Amino acid sequence: MPHPARFGRGREMGRGPYEKSGLLRETSLPPLRTVKEEFEIPFPYKKSKKNGKPWRELVSDTMNVDIKLWYVPFGEFDGNEVLFFEDKRPVKLTGEWVWR
Amino acid sequence: MIGRRLFTISLLFSLCFYLSSALPLLAKGGPKPAPQPKAKTLEELAERYDSESCAECHEEIYDQWENSLHARSILGTGRTAPTILTAIDKGLKNFPFSGVKKDDDITVESLMFCAKCHLPQLDEATDDVAREIVATIRTWQKANKEGNDDLADEMEEKIESLNIGCMVCHNKVAIIHKWADGYPQPDTVYGSQEGEHDHPDFDKMAKAPAIGESIFCGQCHGLGPNFELDEPSQCATLYGSYLYAYIPDGGSESCQECHMKKSGLGHDMEAYRSENMRKMAIDVHVDSMAYYWRKNKEEGVIPLAVVKMEITNKAGHVIPDG
Repeated sequence: MPHPARFGRGREMGRGPYEKSGLLRETSLPPLRTVKEEFEIPFPYKKSKKNGKPWRELVSDTMNVDIKLWYVPFGEFDGNEVLFFEDKRPVKLTGEWVWR
Repeated sequence: MIGRRLFTISLLFSLCFYLSSALPLLAKGGPKPAPQPKAKTLEELAERYDSESCAECHEEIYDQWENSLHARSILGTGRTAPTILTAIDKGLKNFPFSGVKKDDDITVESLMFCAKCHLPQLDEATDDVAREIVATIRTWQKANKEGNDDLADEMEEKIESLNIGCMVCHNKVAIIHKWADGYPQPDTVYGSQEGEHDHPDFDKMAKAPAIGESIFCGQCHGLGPNFELDEPSQCATLYGSYLYAYIPDGGSESCQECHMKKSGLGHDMEAYRSENMRKMAIDVHVDSMAYYWRKNKEEGVIPLAVVKMEITNKAGHVIPDG
């Protein structure tokens, strides 16, 4: 979204058409461009002990990820939000967790 | 010889006379018309720009328009009207040189802060109308808070009667380059055709040269600060991003091509509220993987999922705007 300056001066973002002037920053999706976002989600695990030593046990080797792209017009989820994209997919962990 | 010369001269004279009398038919606009008497009430202003008479012949277009936010440009999605009040209460009343300390001080000039785009025809009304608009919005807001549904509905209908209707786009703001193309004439509907028009008040049609171009929408849909105002307001930067990001990156489609034609929405120009427009606007590609990540000394190796998203904006402007 556009981040307009307050009365076009300083570094504070303005609020409302009566304060907004110019731009300090723009985080909207630019036209004809691709924006990349990356999300890191740790798999849940339980801490325990094995043979008297600290041990970690994976709760599940598969994580079901819900991906949603929302437009939240007024900054809050207040009933005006609109879903632009939705996807669900399992992400599976394979191989051995050696350094537990 | 003299006879032939006289004939040639009179033929040239006739041709010149014909062309000069035909020119007004070819001109898109005309001389600056005398201003109409100012509308003294909200109802009078609404009636002046009421679109219902257009519906008799243009029913499909009228139905499309009626579903759009143009048909409720002061009410908006329900946030526009309250924001006008906020602009007055938090803005104008706190600006030492605005001349507005209370609602009675509000003038057309003060409200043009918002009405420049939300109700350009307000410049044809008296200051009383500006004050009546603000009073109506306050009554509507109070009625909603108090649960007085009947009064809220009545006020909502009154606010909705002011809008960007047919004769705003097809007359008042139809011609952008007035010195080159002439001023909109009060008896003419401007669009893509010329000729006679079957309407008692607007009996002519003429072409609005830029009505199918993005610059037409850009009159209201945002270049940033409205510098022509003594106190520039800023709502939208959409047209600015069209000009300075979309076009330089090789874009070439107009607002109308996407929002009216490709979308199939016609005069129900929509943005994010339409599922079709949302699909036209962006492509999303998702990739995911999982691995064991050596994070740090304290936590060591932890299992991690990585979800990568690529979001491509296919629209002719930034998303979102505001």
